[in-house]
Formats: sequence, structure tokens, C-alpha cells
Amino acid sequence: MDRETRDMLLETAGRFFSERSGKDVVNGVEKGVWPADLWKEIEEMGLPLIAVPEAQEGVGGTLADLLALLRVAGEHAVPVPLAETTLANLLVAASGGKPASGPSTLALVGSDLSLQGNRLSGKVMRVPFASVADRFVSVVGVGGKSTLVVVARDEASVEETPSHAGEPYGTVVFDNTPVEFSAASAVSADRALELAALMRTMQMAGAADKVLATAVEYCKQRVQFGRPISNFQAIQHMLAELASCVAATIASAESASRDADEGGLEEGGSFSIAAAKTQCSDFAHRIAALSHQSMGAMGFTHEHILHHYTRRLWVWRRDFGSEAFWGEKIGQAFAKAGRDAMWPALTESRYAA
Amino acid sequence: MSIPKLEFPPFHLPDEAEALRGEVRAFLKETLPGIQTEDRFASWNTPSPEFSRALGAKGWLGITWPKQYGGSERTFLDRYVVTEELLGNSAPAGSHWVADRQSGPLLLKFGSEQQRQAILPRITRGECYFSIGMSEPDSGSDLASVRTRAEPVPGGFRVNGTKVWTSGAHRNHYCITLVRTSGQHGDRHKGLSQLLVDLKTPGVTIRPIINLAGRHDWNEVTFSDAFIPEDCLIGNEGDGWLQVTSELAFERSGPERFMQNVYVLRELIRVLGRQPAKRANAIVGRLIARLWTLRQMSTAVAGMMQGGKSPAIEASLVKDLGTIYEQDLPEIARTLAESDATTEDDLADFLDIAQYATMMAPSYTIQGGTTQVLRGIVARGLGLR
Repeated sequence: MDRETRDMLLETAGRFFSERSGKDVVNGVEKGVWPADLWKEIEEMGLPLIAVPEAQEGVGGTLADLLALLRVAGEHAVPVPLAETTLANLLVAASGGKPASGPSTLALVGSDLSLQGNRLSGKVMRVPFASVADRFVSVVGVGGKSTLVVVARDEASVEETPSHAGEPYGTVVFDNTPVEFSAASAVSADRALELAALMRTMQMAGAADKVLATAVEYCKQRVQFGRPISNFQAIQHMLAELASCVAATIASAESASRDADEGGLEEGGSFSIAAAKTQCSDFAHRIAALSHQSMGAMGFTHEHILHHYTRRLWVWRRDFGSEAFWGEKIGQAFAKAGRDAMWPALTESRYAA
Repeated sequence: MSIPKLEFPPFHLPDEAEALRGEVRAFLKETLPGIQTEDRFASWNTPSPEFSRALGAKGWLGITWPKQYGGSERTFLDRYVVTEELLGNSAPAGSHWVADRQSGPLLLKFGSEQQRQAILPRITRGECYFSIGMSEPDSGSDLASVRTRAEPVPGGFRVNGTKVWTSGAHRNHYCITLVRTSGQHGDRHKGLSQLLVDLKTPGVTIRPIINLAGRHDWNEVTFSDAFIPEDCLIGNEGDGWLQVTSELAFERSGPERFMQNVYVLRELIRVLGRQPAKRANAIVGRLIARLWTLRQMSTAVAGMMQGGKSPAIEASLVKDLGTIYEQDLPEIARTLAESDATTEDDLADFLDIAQYATMMAPSYTIQGGTTQVLRGIVARGLGLR
């Protein structure tokens, strides 16, 4: 979509999330209340189909549009699988399928998945929204070919293991489970994982942004020793450092999104995504530490919203590969290529070879 | 209430700049092996007049300046590429660095026609080098408190005072010197001016200040009744503060703020061998991701500046993050090499490299505006002060 349309959509979505995905909704999900109305309205707005071509009854946006939407969703801690569903729908559509309505999720990490005929076996841990999604989407690699599979939730067994942000994550076991849909996948299993990691970086960018704004606002209003604590240099420098960590998170996520979008769904921005997920995950700790320190006991309560964001940052940094996972991939490639390959690779945002 | 949103719009360097990169790489590959320097791994503070002249001959000094002053009238982004290739390939850029980066642009902006014609072509040929005369014994981060006084006398100024941390004054030709031309010490920003001082002027004495690594980069430059002709005043008398702050803003976010010791990362990759352990790969990968991110931030700022914006907070954030990365790098690399270097010889060699890098590291977060000064700038941008 053109720049103007996208900006309009993002603004509308941002306003909608502020109004309809507030504190109570986020806390409700943690207590096990599925916000059915919120999801219904998200579907009515067409958001899950943002990157599905118009010919397949989608909104017709690009991967970049999808990612920009997820940054806004991250800024509001939207507690439903919007990210997972938009990417799942994109992958299904790109592989010739028709995205179904309802929430979907991605069963990608730890995939020792195997496909025999039309039946899927294997176990995937830490699947986001496993117990509330209608279906699981995965990509299974068999003998150099990749197959996209869709499995109805009720066909698989889900062990609930809520994330530390209180979202309904779970371990999903497929045991000779019939698949609802399968097709030659538009992307490899490794690529699906990259795209999922990229999606998390943009959510992290949104959350980081919100953390900074929250801490800055708080420090300007909180009065101690007769003046707002933002007047103290110690606080100012802490928030400036927080801003630098947030800036790195945003810049890396946006760069990876640009590279992925420009380079195409199959392989665009492969290195940039790894570097961005490493960077975002790496700095999540500092962002949480500095923001909490600046807000004292108030920010440590369940009552305050800060934890909606800091806890998600702690969870998202592990989702679809942590800084250790992606960092190792980068380190391995650069070690193999040797020192002189480093600088040329960096200037081209690609793995050293 | 809301705070200004931090934005780093991803920016591609244009094709012409990327084409220039290839030329610069080829030139460096051919030229660098023949250049001897005092440092094993050169950087922007390693002098080599021979190298600077070779670079000037290619037209890559003063690359953005008008042709009438010896420039090439290329873009700011072409300059960005030249700069990062010099750093990425550890070229000894120290002789021309300040002249090309900030003194020349200052003269172009505020200097007289006569000053421009006399100086700028020599800079572009790689023959004329500059020092920065800002800090004094009692004026570091608080630059407005300078005491060096230039007293108007017939035909010029009589200058008395002391400048310190004056890098390269013992080998450079000129020093752009911030002086008080009127008013009192307490007048702060008022009454300051900049003078183009020939470092061979009688009454100007240069003494070395050796740094903790045993290097002679810095000097103390003393003015004792030194006569500086009136045509050496840069810009208007009394505009010194305005001019100096514009000088300090030149590329705070440039690649020199995170690539000064990139050789440490390169050599770390060497000593870990082709098949490091998982943990070692993850640590190197994180360092590479940080460097890549800094480069993305830096090019984003360059893109915004090319587009006519002045992203002051974003630029300060790049320097803050970049210099802290440079400071972390030798320590992370050293501890990793201690456990994971492939051979004893490689380790011994690398520890030498890391030792030197460690000694230089404290300077990164001090020079050109301390971390604390930068954070003050960012805090103001966030509306906290």
C-alpha cells in the first residue's frame, strides 16, 4: 500500500488498540480470559489479512506493511496472536492456500517435525497462544523440499505453559496428526523461523518505544525532594542511556524489515534479521533494568502497565531464537569466512562468505 | 504530553557512493602495504603525510567542497563511504583527518575568501594539517569558560594563554584557536572568536603531553604575546561560540565513533580460528550485530542529514552507543580469546593487541564530548531539562 494509506491504517490501528486493548484486557488475558470481542474487531478491520493479496481476498499490503503494523501492536502489548496470525496467513496465501478466519499461530521452534503422507508428528515447545489459536501453521522440510502444513488445534495435544508475560504459550505435540491443509511451501523452514524472528523484532521495537515514553512521562511527574525527579542529573542520564538502547532496538528492527521487504519473501534480509534479533534480544535486559530503576517501586507493581512491556521484552527476546541462537549463526559464518571477509559483508548487510 | 519519537529511517547509500566504495577499496589494497606507520593497526589518529597526499591525489579529500577550492563537489554520502572505508581497512588517516573533517568545512562556512583560497586547496592535496585549539587547563567540557585572550592591537591580535590536549600540534600546520576577544571570563558565550593560527608563529610554544599509553599525540600550546594578523580572524569577531558549536556538530554520528578499534574484532576472528565453539560464535555474533546496528543507525542519520534534517538527538545517541561499544570491545574480546584462542602464539599476539586497545579505550568516551555531556544533550531532547 502507498505511504499515505499505510500511515492512515497505522494511525487507525494505534487509536483502536489504545481504546480496545487497554490495561484490563491485557491483565484479563493473563487470568485466562480470551478477549473475543477484541479479536472480532481486529478481524473486522481486516488486520490479520494485511499482507494477503487482494486476489486472495486480503488487504493486499506488503511484508513491510505487516511489520509496521506489528510495531504499533507491540507498542500496545496487544494480547492476542495478531503477529502470529498475520504471518501465518501470509505464508498460507503465498503457498497457494486460503487463509481461514480466526486466530492462528506458528509452530516453528525446535521442529523435529516429520510429515508422513498427510500426517504430522513431533513436538514444538513455547508455541505462542497455543491454547487459544484455532490452528497451527508450520513449515516442514523433507529431503530438500519444504511443505507448509496447517493443523487444527483440536487435532493436536497442547500442554499449557504460560509465558512469563502471562500469555497462553504451550507445548504442542503432534502424534500422527492429520493436517487440514498442506502445500509446497513458498519459504523454507529456516526462512519461516527468520520471518517469525523478524516479526518479534518489530514488536520489541514498539514495546521499547512505549517503555521509554512511560519512563520519561513518569519521571517528569513524580515529585521527590520537592521537585520532579526528571530534574536530577542521575535520572536524566539513566533515561538518556535508556533512549540509546531503545534507539538501537528500533533502528535494527526497522533496517531488517526494510531488507526483508526489499529482498523478497524467500530470502530477503537474512543476515539483517539475524543481526536485528540478536541486537533486540541483547538490549532487552538493559531496557527493562533502566526503565524499572527510573520508576522505582511503582513500576514494579502489577497495577502499573510497565510490566506489560518489560515482561514481553523478556519473553520475546527468546521467541523464535534468542541472541545466543542468532548470534551463534552469525559468529559461525564470520569465523568460517575469516577476518578479511568481515568488513565487506557488514557493508552489504550479508553473512560473510 | 508526549516525547519526541526516535526515528532511524533505514537508508541505502546511493549507487554512486557504492561505486566509489569499490574504487576506494582498490586504492587502499594497492597503497596501504607500502605505507609505514607508528601503529600496528592504524586509524583516524595515526598520521601519515604520505598516505594523505596519495588520498588527496585521488580527489578524496575535501570531496564535497567546491571545485574552485580543490574539492570534487561530490555528496556528503560519498564522503561517508570514503570515511568508513578508511576506518574499515585501518588506513592511517591521522594527518589530514581534522582538516578534512572539521577545519576545512569551518573555513568554507565562515572563513574569508582569502583564507579559503590560501588553505582549502592545500588541504585537498593532503598537504596541510590542522589541530583544534579549544580545550584549556580550566576549560574541558565547559568550553565557554576559555581564558586565552586575544587583545586587539594595530594590524591584528596579541594572544596570551594556554591550550591543552591539542592533538598533532607538533606536526600540523595550523590550529583553529578559540579565544576571548572581548569581555571577561564570566561572560561565557559572548566575546569569543576563532583565529587561524600558524603553529610556527613566534610566541607560540608547543610542548608534548604524553598519554597513558606512552604516545605523543597531545600537546600543550602556549601563547606568549603571540601576534596573529587580523586577516587570520575566522568569521566575525564575537561569533566564536556559534562557530564552535557548528564545528562540534559535524558528524557526531560518523563511523569514526564506532570503528576506531575495529581491528580488535577482526583479529579476534583470526585467533578464534575457523571453527570456534558455540559459545564463542555467539559472543562474536553479538559483537557483529552491535556493529551492524551502529552502522545502520549512522547511515540513517546520514540519510536524514542529506535530506536536510538535523537529527541532533539521534546523532548524539550514535556517539554514546558507539563509543561505549568501542570501549566494551577490547574487554569482551580479551576474555573470549583467553579461553578460546586456537594456539598459544595466537593468544600471546592477541593479548598484545588487546592490551593496547584496552589502554586507548578510556579516551573513546571522553574525546569530542564526554558520554555525560552527550547524555545531557539527549536528556534535553527528551524534554527532561
